[in-house]
Amino acid sequence: MIPLRYNVRSLAVRKATTAATALGIGLVVFVLSTSQMLADGIQHTLGSAGEPGRAIVLRKGADNELVSSVDAKLVNVIMAAGGVRRDERGPRAVAELLTIIALSRRNSATALSNVAVRGISDRVLDFRSEAKLVAGRAPRIGADEAMIGKRLRGQYRGLQIGQSFVLKKNLSVRVVGVFEAGGSVHESEIWCDAQLVQSAFGREGLLSSVTVELQAPSAFAGFRSAIERERSYGLSVERESTYYEKQSEGTATLVRFLGGAVVVFFSIGASIGATITMYAAVAQRRREVGTLRALGFSRAAILSSFLIESLLLALFGGAVGAACSLAMGQLELTMVNFSTLSEMTFAFHASASMLVVALAVGILMGLAGGLLPAVRAARVSPIEAMREA
Amino acid sequence: MNLVSVAIQNTRRNLFRSILTVVGVAIAMLAFLLLRTVLSAWLVGVQHAATDRLATRHKVTFVMPLPKRYVDTVRQVPGVQAVTWMTFFGGKVPGKEEQLGSVAVDAPTFLRVYDELVLPEPQREHFLRDRRGAIVGVALARQFGWKVGDRITLAGTTFAGEWEFSVDGIYTVKRRSVDELSMFFHWSYLNDSLPTQLREQVGWISSKVASAREAPIVAKRIDDGFESRETQTLSMSERAVNNSFMGMASTLLDAIQIVSLVILVIMLLILGNTIAMGVRERTQEYAVLRAIGFLPRHVVIFVLGEATALASAGGLLAVALGVPFINSGVARYLEENMAGFFPFFRLAARDMLLALVLSGVLAVLAALLPALRASKLQVTDALRKLG
Repeated sequence: MIPLRYNVRSLAVRKATTAATALGIGLVVFVLSTSQMLADGIQHTLGSAGEPGRAIVLRKGADNELVSSVDAKLVNVIMAAGGVRRDERGPRAVAELLTIIALSRRNSATALSNVAVRGISDRVLDFRSEAKLVAGRAPRIGADEAMIGKRLRGQYRGLQIGQSFVLKKNLSVRVVGVFEAGGSVHESEIWCDAQLVQSAFGREGLLSSVTVELQAPSAFAGFRSAIERERSYGLSVERESTYYEKQSEGTATLVRFLGGAVVVFFSIGASIGATITMYAAVAQRRREVGTLRALGFSRAAILSSFLIESLLLALFGGAVGAACSLAMGQLELTMVNFSTLSEMTFAFHASASMLVVALAVGILMGLAGGLLPAVRAARVSPIEAMREA
Repeated sequence: MNLVSVAIQNTRRNLFRSILTVVGVAIAMLAFLLLRTVLSAWLVGVQHAATDRLATRHKVTFVMPLPKRYVDTVRQVPGVQAVTWMTFFGGKVPGKEEQLGSVAVDAPTFLRVYDELVLPEPQREHFLRDRRGAIVGVALARQFGWKVGDRITLAGTTFAGEWEFSVDGIYTVKRRSVDELSMFFHWSYLNDSLPTQLREQVGWISSKVASAREAPIVAKRIDDGFESRETQTLSMSERAVNNSFMGMASTLLDAIQIVSLVILVIMLLILGNTIAMGVRERTQEYAVLRAIGFLPRHVVIFVLGEATALASAGGLLAVALGVPFINSGVARYLEENMAGFFPFFRLAARDMLLALVLSGVLAVLAALLPALRASKLQVTDALRKLG
């Protein structure tokens, strides 16, 4: 076996070529892992809003809360259905109204962005236990007050404690609190009294959804059939976790498609780069290889040595790429949520398995690029190679 | 035989490496072209959206409709030449996950205001008379295999229930301000089928103005007129509307821009690597050339010429592969899976030209350092290495 030091030194001698090739592989690993981190981040942000132990009731046919409408008269019927957990304050359930309003971004005079507004009921903080106030207080029911998700804070004009935003002409709503919600999409929402939203938009008597806490996750089927069986309601029931997973599909699919397409091209390009580099390495070192063979190293030893060398190249590049993508984890991005067309803020979501996959792809590229040159090196005839000038 | 053709002949000396390089450059360029096409397909909605048509919507939220009587008010506003109104319907073809771009329109005024729609005269007349009629874009019709006379059923998303339509016509467009993946049907059919409290409402009002220059003035006039009514409005040109939607996706668009630059860097690395190796191997040759009287700039021409030849071949290969790959392969896939995002997915001539020009520029960049190093060679030193 040829010592590893030989390969390391060979790479170090040709610094520029080594760096260029490793950079190519590093970029592939970087793009692969960041696009996956982005898609995972979107799925995490939307997905973590849903709990399997809760069910969401929407109008039949409605894909999301924005286009759904549930008659307020049905709310009590839904909450009274079997399978809904109850406590001393009654059924553990909330009826909410989701809409979207246009707000100006803080740093732009003209650009309007769409921000989701959720009309809530008074027990929302008790019901959504993942949501916690981090500043100020909860809005009083019946008052023109709101609390905002922490990702909105300071991003839009009027969204800061003590400031106010316009819901309708002559109706401005004061921000009195900021909440966090475990990194979920709710952190990009404004929460205020459902009746306030209803009256501001002329939607009296209408809600978007009813979310209930189930006695146990297994109570879902019973609850669902109880609601859906009654055709005149025109309602459909989904697990909250399933609902939010579906919400993330469109956006995440797009990111994965674009990221995947780019990675396929990049990895072919980087493999070719590695092949060119390793071929040149073999060509330049024919005499060395001949000498090694003359010293008694077998063809297999030469083959594995050159493979190891390209593997080292790939590992080096891959590690740099992975490290850079981890650094992206510090960034927060704001992007449109295609299913509701409102803005949501999310972070790159790193996971160990994703990094391992990205590194494995990098290593695979190194092997793919190094294989043919390594075979050529192994076939070098010692006598001819040493006879050359 | 001039120097450039000698340089091109040089690419054949290590044919395998040259082929690898050309393929590498071509693949990077192909990825670049694909991303450029994604970007321009996305921006087509902005670039081609009408500037002489205003959309008037609910001021605070685009989710809520406007009262239908607002249409009459808009019609009276000075500067408005024609008015129509519409409501987004959506709906799904049973068994499909994706929502359609279907819109309920007031057909007679709609066809007048949106004169970019091209519809054979008999189909137009039939559609105007048929209460449940619909016209569909040629691309949408192709996607679902719909023909004139077909009966189709959509499952309502925003509006509950099953909705039946008959395909009365298939339209194409003269300008890209409307895409060919939409479906239009009669607003009155929708309105009559809704419960009383949801009737007589419109999603937005569209009005034609004389010119793009007048658009903001008329828009302000419209909005001022509603200032003291129960619901205020926001009027913008269609291009401004699309622009603001694009703004929300800007993070993704920026990412695509950055990645397409990174691709160019990768190309530069592959190309630069090959050229640098060639130069290193031929150091002695260059020294001999210099010794027999060739000047440093001749050496530069050799190196640059070889790089340009390789890169141009790669660029040409990318364009040749890109046309079928993007226009047939990817476009077909997107049409079937994500049609809503990319209505016009075609490789633009401008982008092909850009790819070829960039290949040349990158070749020069990649070859510059090796070329200069080769030209500055100390002839005696280089020849001595022979020994």
